[in-house]
Amino acid sequence: MNRWLALGALVVVALVSAVALGPAHVALGDLASSEIVRSLRIPRALLALLVGGSLGVAGVSLQALVRNPLADPFLLGLSGGAGLGAVLAIALHVAGPWALPLAAFAGALGAMALVYRLGLVGGAQLDPRVLLLAGVAVGAFSGAITTAIVSLAEAADLRNAFLWLWGGLSGASWDTVLVMVVYIPVPLVVLYAAARPLDLLALGEEPATHLGADVEPLKRRVYVAASLLTAAAVAVSGVIGFVGLIVPHITRLVWGHRHRALLPAAFLGGGALLLFADTAARVAVAPRELPVGIVTALVGVPLFALLLRRWAGTRS
Amino acid sequence: MRGLLLALLLAVACRPADRPVTPPPAHRIVSLAPSSTELLFALGAGGQLVGRTTWCRYPPAALQVPDVGDGLNPNIEAIAARQPDLVVLYRSPLNETATTQLARLGIPAVTVAQDRLEDIARAARELGRLTGHEAAGDSIGAALEALLRTPAPTPIARVAFVVWDNPPMVIGGGSYLDQLATLAGGANVFHDLGAASATVSIETIVARNPDVILVLSDSSAPPAYSGRREWRAIRAVREQRFIMLPADLFGRPSPSAPAAVAALRRALEARAK
Repeated sequence: MNRWLALGALVVVALVSAVALGPAHVALGDLASSEIVRSLRIPRALLALLVGGSLGVAGVSLQALVRNPLADPFLLGLSGGAGLGAVLAIALHVAGPWALPLAAFAGALGAMALVYRLGLVGGAQLDPRVLLLAGVAVGAFSGAITTAIVSLAEAADLRNAFLWLWGGLSGASWDTVLVMVVYIPVPLVVLYAAARPLDLLALGEEPATHLGADVEPLKRRVYVAASLLTAAAVAVSGVIGFVGLIVPHITRLVWGHRHRALLPAAFLGGGALLLFADTAARVAVAPRELPVGIVTALVGVPLFALLLRRWAGTRS
Repeated sequence: MRGLLLALLLAVACRPADRPVTPPPAHRIVSLAPSSTELLFALGAGGQLVGRTTWCRYPPAALQVPDVGDGLNPNIEAIAARQPDLVVLYRSPLNETATTQLARLGIPAVTVAQDRLEDIARAARELGRLTGHEAAGDSIGAALEALLRTPAPTPIARVAFVVWDNPPMVIGGGSYLDQLATLAGGANVFHDLGAASATVSIETIVARNPDVILVLSDSSAPPAYSGRREWRAIRAVREQRFIMLPADLFGRPSPSAPAAVAALRRALEARAK
């Protein structure tokens, strides 16, 4: 129980510091009335929590699905598809304040569908190994097309599409928070409902089948739900690395292998990590801002290495 | 001692003039940056150009010059095929390999800084001399130096150049556009950022509260981000206080800087009314 209290406290501290700290000076007494806090910092903090949480949950689920500790939500080709969508939107002059996020979302869904189709061996069974390879292949292929468009096309805006893709949370607003709040509960519930079968899947597909898990539909549900979470994350905040890779491992070190505990812990842990990282990205070199993906790596990797050593130490 | 130092300084400063033989003016020039292409046309050397980059689209006559591709990491083969007697490169670490490759082929090349107003003044004199348009080069150089010497007017508006929205990128103090704004009576609220451009948070723009946002755009429509809620936290966005700067005049460091300053001054005055 103490673990949950500690994690809850961590999330609260992360939220409070994200709202209280920023490049602009807002006196503590004015926090409640400040326009900067109300329309920029609070939605940005909430979005960081939701995106970080989604990536954490997607990472846990995909690592269980493909039974590979290197799996990351973006390894399955979604970032490549999202980048291609965004660049196409700019190249085709699709205008509007939401053009880029929607195009990136569509691109990520396209990549997801393609990887899914390639992963269906014999038209019926979803083979996790083929799925991983298909993800890498689709990601590399769409990345190549994206780079070709950017280097051949004339608009200087296109080079900025890459910045957008690695952009982080500067697009946060109450609108994006609302979109996420409405959207992510469905895939989250689908994954949580699959918690027990996912525990069995960790034993291998055959043992899982013997123990009563309906493996094929399970794999499809998990793949689609985790991808939908990742697609939404990339649409509102670009590709933020390491959260979906590291958080699952850290939570597994603390909470063990039961997904009923692992999934909520990964949501809160991912949210807290991204909140801290984004606060650091905004404050560390103010008034300039760092790309948040750099900070998630700088914060997450040492933490990960530390836990990994402790874990390796207890095993030997 | 001071006299000796002065003599030394003068000797260093005058070295280019002491060259034993001035090479004959180049008449087959490849220009590898939009700024130098525009400058060469302004000098009257447009007719001597035999190559330009894909990005050199101003003045319109530049489009008649054969395209040799990119200006950074240029295609040496395409350049050599134009049989130039002078290649003008943009000064950047990315062009060092190209410079040595051209030297190995025996193709004369100059590397020209073209990032700020003083760079253009210096480039005008240098390229004027190399292309046989020395008088034009001196006159453009002198005009730009005079502009630089003009005391900056009292600012009439606080401005921010927002060049990209996600992540938000602004123009800092180390840039040509910042120089233009200062000379036109606009105080760049991000002047303290030393870099030419930098990523900042929207809340930093809110806190610095510019009166006007300057946008490099040929269209008169407000930028797409002005419809997004997070951007409307900025007063200038909420009040739709944008000034659009056409790319032909503002898109690159240019010998038309005096005209650009005057145009920006008029736009700022019109806004202030």
